Amino acid sequence: MTAHDELLTFLTTTLGPSGVLCDDVDIARYRIDWAGAQGGIPLAVARPATPEQVAEILGYCHRNDIPVVPQGGGSGLVEAALPDRDTPELVISLERLNGIRHVDPINFSMSVDAGCILQTIKDAAEAEDCFFPLTLGAQGSCQIGGNIATNAGGLNVLRYGMMRQLVLGVEVALPDGRLLCDMKALHKNNTGYDLKQLFIGAEGTLGIVTGAVIKLFPRPQVTRTALIGCPDVESVLKLYAQSRRSCCDLLSAFELIPRICLELAIEVAPDLPDPLDEGHPVYILMEVAASGPVNLDGMIEALFEIGIENGWINDGVLATSDHQAKQLWRIREAMLEGQQRRGEHLRTDVSLPLSALSEFHHRAQLSMEETSPECTVIAYGHVGDGNLHFNVLPPPTLEQEAKRSLLHELELQLFDIVAEFSGSISAEHGIGRAKQAPFLETLTAPEHEIMRGIKRQIDPRGMMSPGRILPATHD
Amino acid sequence: MKVLVAVKRVIDYNVKIRVKADQSDVDLTNVKMAMNPFCEIAVEEAVRLKEKGVATEVIAVSIGPKASQEQLRTALALGADRAIQVLTDDPVDSLAVAKLLAKVVEEEQPGLVILGKQSIDADNNQTGQMLAALTGMGQGTFASEVVVDGESVNVTREIDGGLQTVKLSLPAVVTTDLRLNEPRYAKLPDIMKAKKKPLDVKTPEELGVSTASKVTLVKVAPPAERQGGIKVGSVDELVDKLKNEAKVIS
Ligand SMILES: Cc1cc2nc3c(=O)[nH]c(=O)nc-3n(C[C@H](O)[C@H](O)[C@H](O)COP(=O)(O)OP(=O)(O)OC[C@H]3O[C@@H](n4cnc5c(N)ncnc54)[C@H](O)[C@@H]3O)c2cc1C
Repeated sequence: MTAHDELLTFLTTTLGPSGVLCDDVDIARYRIDWAGAQGGIPLAVARPATPEQVAEILGYCHRNDIPVVPQGGGSGLVEAALPDRDTPELVISLERLNGIRHVDPINFSMSVDAGCILQTIKDAAEAEDCFFPLTLGAQGSCQIGGNIATNAGGLNVLRYGMMRQLVLGVEVALPDGRLLCDMKALHKNNTGYDLKQLFIGAEGTLGIVTGAVIKLFPRPQVTRTALIGCPDVESVLKLYAQSRRSCCDLLSAFELIPRICLELAIEVAPDLPDPLDEGHPVYILMEVAASGPVNLDGMIEALFEIGIENGWINDGVLATSDHQAKQLWRIREAMLEGQQRRGEHLRTDVSLPLSALSEFHHRAQLSMEETSPECTVIAYGHVGDGNLHFNVLPPPTLEQEAKRSLLHELELQLFDIVAEFSGSISAEHGIGRAKQAPFLETLTAPEHEIMRGIKRQIDPRGMMSPGRILPATHD
Repeated sequence: MKVLVAVKRVIDYNVKIRVKADQSDVDLTNVKMAMNPFCEIAVEEAVRLKEKGVATEVIAVSIGPKASQEQLRTALALGADRAIQVLTDDPVDSLAVAKLLAKVVEEEQPGLVILGKQSIDADNNQTGQMLAALTGMGQGTFASEVVVDGESVNVTREIDGGLQTVKLSLPAVVTTDLRLNEPRYAKLPDIMKAKKKPLDVKTPEELGVSTASKVTLVKVAPPAERQGGIKVGSVDELVDKLKNEAKVIS
């Protein structure tokens, strides 16, 4: 029997026939991600249904030097979950490990299996009059394990924090096949190194998350959503600071949408509103929410008055019903699809101190246009977190080869400016494979050493998601 | 010509309704309230008539508790010129609402009264019709198009299997259907201006109308819970279940 046959026999015995996929047709969907990137042919796709099965598979792979990659909903944006194109890997999909274990509305916590879809978790929280705040475009398909592995952010970070702030405990199958269980639902626990933090944002390179205890919040009862037209990014940032103050820090989203994104959204969904009389250079989609009877209207009206007086706000609308609020949020979703339709483009996810953001935006835009006057800059994002998706659409007429090299050049140029402003090249999407080269360049020697040391300690044979974040160390 | 629009405060239509434990009513504690969607359409239509120069003044009227002033302020922000609240904390049924509106009509003498075809909480679909009967005005219900033409109004109605256009002499009552228009968003400057627009408060007693109802709400029950689906292992099993359990094929 070949090593591959042995692996398949082991998997079939451990997981049963429906737990293993090898057929080309069956595995096709595990080889492609949301953005359309294509991975290599995996050794197989294993679909364990219990944490113990995950651990057992990892132990086997550890003993037999088989590289593995965990996969959640395939919505990650840095090509980390796709099987390698050169070295065949075993894909471990968490999709069958997808139960809600326990919801505790008094402790404001929930324990879940890693393969739970984010939307399912949000619904389960709501059924207990609670709220799980992580909100992102992919919530109907991404899994909580993937969210933990990427330390996902999303729309509500300014109020509730990133995934790291929302995890109380994790259960992880370690690369050597042991199960590390830290599933205590504690809001305080200062006992030595906080190991769970290592696995959050590790992009599957240190083990496979099989379960987690996550934090819940009281369910918002009143929400107000506004779309505001502003003259420029600088005004937007001043308005942001004022919004937090005027709205008692009840701001739950503050999204920057340049005019072109509104147009892209309407291109995709012509029924969407363009509710302001004139176009404005930039818009803010803003949400304020409270879990009790608070006079949000009063706060928002006071904020608008200040904003208009100071010239930070040109005009704006306030949704008068949930239906209108949903329509405004659909702009945010549809604009992503609109961009996607424009084909290959530079996608980035940078973050900066808010106070430097306007100047950065200005400099970066000039720099892009200098190099490629016909390119279109689309800078939008969770601006309340200092997070900008500074994307660039190349001129549509460019040949494939020339386009690639132009995009690469623009990325280098952009990251140089990010460095000048002491920003980060990855605010929330992670490093994976797509951002590895620029990431390695920003690492200082001690950082690099410690990161390599952690990887070696936990995954000595380098079989867990090799080549993601850090270069592969095996062979 | 004055246009009077009726506006009702109801549970926001995106809210999942919960029934009180004793089944006496729908649970309204801490539930998001909004303007009835058909009333939003009514306000929009009235404002458009004003923008076209057909209406000279748009008056929004709401019957209900103090909090329904929120919906009146929304109507003002959307373009109504002034508002009237008939303040009452009692539950009011359609007939009482129609009688109160008839009194307001008597005082204001509007050329057109626009209401939603129904409110999404009680789904009665009768207030507009009752108001027409009480005032002797003609009625054009389920409107998908409203065209005022001199002393009359042409109302295109959505009826089973097609459209019907009726011509009513003014003053008249119109109730709105979903496709009449797409309501606009409230502009920030208009929201601020709305705070300064006049809002009169009256009571049913002042209007000489008793709100005592002849109808008692006996019980409210949620719909039966949907059974979850199951996964079948094979086509044969599916066919077997469709035949022998669901009995939808033979
Ligand atoms: C439309 C859209 C909008 C998005 N918006 C945001 C946003 O606003 N903010 C944001 O932060 N991100 C956003 N993302 C990207 C985000 O990272 C992913 O949506 C999500 O967090 C990844 O979850 P997933 O289950 O799809 O993981 P996958 O894509 O399957 O995997 C992502 C990474 O996690 C690893 N992984 C998956 N499951 C496990 C596990 N159980 N244990 C260990 N490792 C695992 C994979 O190996 C891979 O490295 C968006 C993506 C899309 C498509």
